[in-house]
Amino acid sequence: MSPRPSRVRRAIAACAALAVAGTLLAGCASDGRETIRFTFSKREALTFMNGVVDAYNASQDRVRVEMDTSGVDVVSASFVRGNPPDIMLANYNYETARFVQRCALSDLSQTTAASTTRDDLQALMDQYGSCAGRVSALPYSVMAASVIYNKDLFARAGVDVPTTWEELLAACEKLKAAGITPFYATFKDDWTVGQGWYDYSVGGSVDVVDFFNRLAAEGDQVGPDSATSFQKDFAAPLEKMTQLTSQFVNPDAASRGYGDGNLAFAKGEAAMYLQGPWAFGEIAKTAPDLNLGTFPLPMTDDAADLKVRVNMDLAAMIPEGSRHKDAARDFLEYLYRPETIAAYNEAQLGFTPTKDAAAPDDPRIAGMIPYYTDGKVYQGPSVLVPKTIPVFNYAQAVVLGASPQATLRTMDADWARLAFRAPAPTTETEESGQ
Amino acid sequence: MTTSTIVTAGDQKARRSSRRVEPIYYLFLLPSLVLFTLAITVPGVVGIFFSFTDSIGIGEWRFTGLTNYIAMFSDPAILQSYLFTIGFSIATVIVVNVLAFLLAVGLTARIRLKTALRTVFVIPMVISGIIIAYVFNFLFSNSLPSAGESLGIPALSTSLLANPDLAWVAIVIVTAWQAIPGTLLIYIAGLLAVPGDVYEAAALDGASKGQQLVRITLPLVAGYVVINVILGFKGFLNAYDIIVGLTNGGPGTATRSVAMTIIAGFNGGDYAYQMANATIFFVVAILISLLQLSLTRGRNAF
Repeated sequence: MSPRPSRVRRAIAACAALAVAGTLLAGCASDGRETIRFTFSKREALTFMNGVVDAYNASQDRVRVEMDTSGVDVVSASFVRGNPPDIMLANYNYETARFVQRCALSDLSQTTAASTTRDDLQALMDQYGSCAGRVSALPYSVMAASVIYNKDLFARAGVDVPTTWEELLAACEKLKAAGITPFYATFKDDWTVGQGWYDYSVGGSVDVVDFFNRLAAEGDQVGPDSATSFQKDFAAPLEKMTQLTSQFVNPDAASRGYGDGNLAFAKGEAAMYLQGPWAFGEIAKTAPDLNLGTFPLPMTDDAADLKVRVNMDLAAMIPEGSRHKDAARDFLEYLYRPETIAAYNEAQLGFTPTKDAAAPDDPRIAGMIPYYTDGKVYQGPSVLVPKTIPVFNYAQAVVLGASPQATLRTMDADWARLAFRAPAPTTETEESGQ
Repeated sequence: MTTSTIVTAGDQKARRSSRRVEPIYYLFLLPSLVLFTLAITVPGVVGIFFSFTDSIGIGEWRFTGLTNYIAMFSDPAILQSYLFTIGFSIATVIVVNVLAFLLAVGLTARIRLKTALRTVFVIPMVISGIIIAYVFNFLFSNSLPSAGESLGIPALSTSLLANPDLAWVAIVIVTAWQAIPGTLLIYIAGLLAVPGDVYEAAALDGASKGQQLVRITLPLVAGYVVINVILGFKGFLNAYDIIVGLTNGGPGTATRSVAMTIIAGFNGGDYAYQMANATIFFVVAILISLLQLSLTRGRNAF
């Protein structure tokens, strides 16, 4: 029995020594510079961001930035261990918003960077919840997504870009008559159904911010009798969605995935494709000169209702647990210098979230610029629901033939059950506070 | 326990007179005891503790009592994942044991290329589940439909994985494909332990090969059947990698296993709720084990 306590003590001592050594190593570099850890894991942009970090390290001799590309799960674990990164640029979704909701991020409202970002975007960020009195995260890159279309195939069938639901149906019939598959669908990958079919259909017909505020107000009372519910508000858009997916997609859609879709669309096998700008790079690998454009999916009879889906592809955050907040803020301001943030978004086909920033000039996303500039945007209703509710799976079930009404009833029940455990975030209090 | 019984069983009197057990046996137990405590018991207790809170894995949390459990019992998604997991485990355990037993009978008979065939049948065991799943995913989504199309069989031309009512069949097939070798090896060992003279006696009495299989082979390897059924069932309850690679829980939510639901809670910021689920799953697993043990205790024959 006697060896055990000493063994435990030794183990604790070893752990403590390791922890101390780790902190020391992280805290001070050999040349007296303050070293900060910067997490960034967007694979497509690593080369670009490496260049930014190198330029920053060369531009001053007080702070050294070290890039950590290990990804979201490792970052979450580092928060649990109490050793979070000093600054992070990450995709803004329910996963990262957890840090916001539990106030694990420091307030950035006093930074110059905060004063240069567009105010209307903060409301979109708040849809994921917020920490009272704080600006916990700043938008860095906004991605807009809508229907990608093949301009040559549209011209061949004599079809113009549709702006109303009736025009869309007519365009699909015309394409079909010309022997062209109207939409290329990839139902095998559930996220493509959620991101494209579900989000564009709902976002094009429903005021998403308002809907989720009303839904949050209903809380655990959401159901067949509540004023707001998935089954009331989303039924019509999903009916229209299934109208499209049952008539105008490739016959093998159920067994095609994202990779198959990029290849087939690049080969001109269909006229329209519901994907975001990230697919352009993949399509270009097969067909670099394909004549592509974008337009919002029309879901109503009024062209004034057209909107594009946006997501906060990157947001900047400085964790409360960082021991180098001042140094991290210095680097934050560097990242938000107009030339840096504009060059980043230019390279990634993103929209720069700062005031008076120039719109991207890539012809493939030109069709979405007027909508983004006028603020006619929505965030995908599939990502505004906590992941506990498997919206992607539900959307996939619907396009594969499940009843939209029954699926929406399930979502209502899921929502009510979740609200019973944890109240949903709303943007209303934040807006009145500002 | 077992070790000490074996050592002292030879001399009951000596054991009763001095109850001293060699301390060296405790030393043997220590490493696994420490590892088990650190890696299984402590995290398990911590997890059960957090199932009574609203923790999301980080930051502040507070006690919420039985809220998570109350919400869970009315959650059709969780109920469905249990039904799917248990149904899938039963189906797979039957398929695996029937096929592995028949294969083992074949591979222990006097046939040509016995060693080569045994090697071939064991190969699936050494390939990682997720890789098998991705390969079969491709076969089900591309090869099988195109073969169905060119042969003019409409039933084959749509992917099995895209059919919410039949996707589980694909999962059973792939899981069985991977699990059969392990079961097969145990059956081969069992069959080789059956003495040859009982078959000679049966043959002299005029028993056919079929009768020999049912009346002699099966009863004599019954203990191995019990082992395979218990081990297999426990393994299939934890099904994860093959389902992720094949359907990722889809189409829709048709094939979400309990393990997948629990892990989705970690990624989706629903730590405490899925900890409650894991606690219930733990209890269910213990109940099933107790049931199996009491049904099969001391009985190595049908």
